[in-house]
Amino acid sequence: MAAVDLADVQGFILRGYTAPVARCLGLSVRESAAASAFLTGLADGDLAVTTAAPWAEKPGCCVNLGITFPGLAALGVPPGSQASFPAEYAEGAAKRAASVGDVGVSSPDQWLAWLVDPGLHLLVWLFAQSSEALDATTAQLQQAWSAGCVELGRHDAAWLPGDVAHFGYRDGLSQPIIEDIPLAGLPDHLPPAPVGEFLLGYPSQHVGFSYPVPQPAQLGANGSFAALRVLEQDVDGFAEFVSAQASATGMPEELILAKLCGRWRNGVPLVLSPDTDTPDPPIPPDALNDFDYVGEHHDERGYHCPIGSHIRRMHPRGQRTAGGDGYLHRIVRRGIPYGPAYDPAHPRDGRARGLLGLFIGVSLRDQFEFLMAQWANDGTFAAGLGRTKDPVIGAHTDGAGTFSIPRPEGPVVLEGLSRFVTTRGGAYCFLPSVSAIRYLAGLRANL
Amino acid sequence: MTEQPQPVQNPLTVVMKAKSPEDNTALRQVITQLQALPAERNPVTIALNKLGNVHFARFAFLGEDQLLLITTYDGDFVAYINEFTDNIGDVFNTLLAHVEYGPPLPVESHRQEFLDYIRAHDLRCVGTFYSAYPDRTVFDILDTPSDSSR
Repeated sequence: MAAVDLADVQGFILRGYTAPVARCLGLSVRESAAASAFLTGLADGDLAVTTAAPWAEKPGCCVNLGITFPGLAALGVPPGSQASFPAEYAEGAAKRAASVGDVGVSSPDQWLAWLVDPGLHLLVWLFAQSSEALDATTAQLQQAWSAGCVELGRHDAAWLPGDVAHFGYRDGLSQPIIEDIPLAGLPDHLPPAPVGEFLLGYPSQHVGFSYPVPQPAQLGANGSFAALRVLEQDVDGFAEFVSAQASATGMPEELILAKLCGRWRNGVPLVLSPDTDTPDPPIPPDALNDFDYVGEHHDERGYHCPIGSHIRRMHPRGQRTAGGDGYLHRIVRRGIPYGPAYDPAHPRDGRARGLLGLFIGVSLRDQFEFLMAQWANDGTFAAGLGRTKDPVIGAHTDGAGTFSIPRPEGPVVLEGLSRFVTTRGGAYCFLPSVSAIRYLAGLRANL
Repeated sequence: MTEQPQPVQNPLTVVMKAKSPEDNTALRQVITQLQALPAERNPVTIALNKLGNVHFARFAFLGEDQLLLITTYDGDFVAYINEFTDNIGDVFNTLLAHVEYGPPLPVESHRQEFLDYIRAHDLRCVGTFYSAYPDRTVFDILDTPSDSSR
């Protein structure tokens, strides 16, 4: 396999930036030649997108670009080329909503207006080391796009104290290890994912198969796809549920929280430490994702880590699953909280809080949508889950969800799960390579 | 009357018509030889055991020139087309070389066309699909000890 030209690939596909503040901007192309000039700047100018090439010094603000399917037409991509993109991307997040559980309060008619605007063409993401750097780069970008685009909306996000997400868990510990790519996450001993799962133009994990590269190759190769998600979290509802279940079952709240997630809130996996979040000796930080549910730490019955817990559903690893694919369907997750930290002393403060997330892979259908439809919102892929859903992110209705905590003497079943995560918006985006941005910039540059 | 819940299982009944009398003979030979293999060497058995979401599967000949594949499986066939192709694609490459309107081969490289072929040649189900255990997947059933082992 040809080596990946990391300088041609948008950086956030292959590595995290560890940036404490982020912003997502939604743009509509109004004047295509001027928009092309903006793209030229993103390919080669001072505001060039951040690539996966190694850096000597971390940038103060990283910039990345996504394009919606209507955005391709707005930038002048010919119909034949548009037709070479996958159907799910062409349909877009709103049309595919029901398949990933975005129904009821999560349905597109409830989404943020700018994310359902048919004129949403470009998504620009900024990941900065400070709010000042974020605002300064935003101002520079505004100047660059203003002749060709208008801003439809934006969403800001920032780390919470203690490096946790709103439900109180440490986040972002599980990322795929990608073959032949510098290690970007915690090491593990699981089968690595081929680069063709995250970049177009390389062999995928499936036998004799590379995902089709949208044409022309200059546009499609080294690109990827992302599902942008604005996920609002009902921290009050989650805390009240856990408290009520602790009373009902006699289990400590911390243990219930750990069983729901599959990790203690400090990130220690239940499989490695089923009884305490502070094992002795402690688990080294770089070993927090190095485990399996079979083999050395075998937990096939889920007595340590419930089979229906969040992290076990999202990555069943060696566990027996329908299709025999527990190591597959990996996805790169880039998430950062938005809204103020939850203060249990002042519940129900009416403030919106949640996660601004990007779920990246070469196939929205086989990665993001598969995870949501098969593993998050159904249980038929593994023994004993029935039609249950992910206890943390599942699309539960009317407090009717259940969650089974297996034990040798018989399970404890938690009842009354509600939807704790509501989708406030989404967009399916193509993540073009630097070469592709250059190509797109050239389509209408001389009109 | 209580309405039956939608079963987690689904039927698949694929009708494959031989391209010619010679292809029909070849199809019958391939299937007969395949099904004569012991389970541990039968690629269909090995694949279905690995997939873990197929309850029953059988081949049958219909009339002079048609081969049937009849299965009952859990969940969404489309969602698992990649796993199905990865594990059992070779068998279909052999069979589909002899059928009318077959998809381009190998199926591993033409997954969408393979899926389209299967869908187009599936007889589906007239009315309700009956299941005696609508909630139970292959894994659920295998997870329950049989009477003899209790």
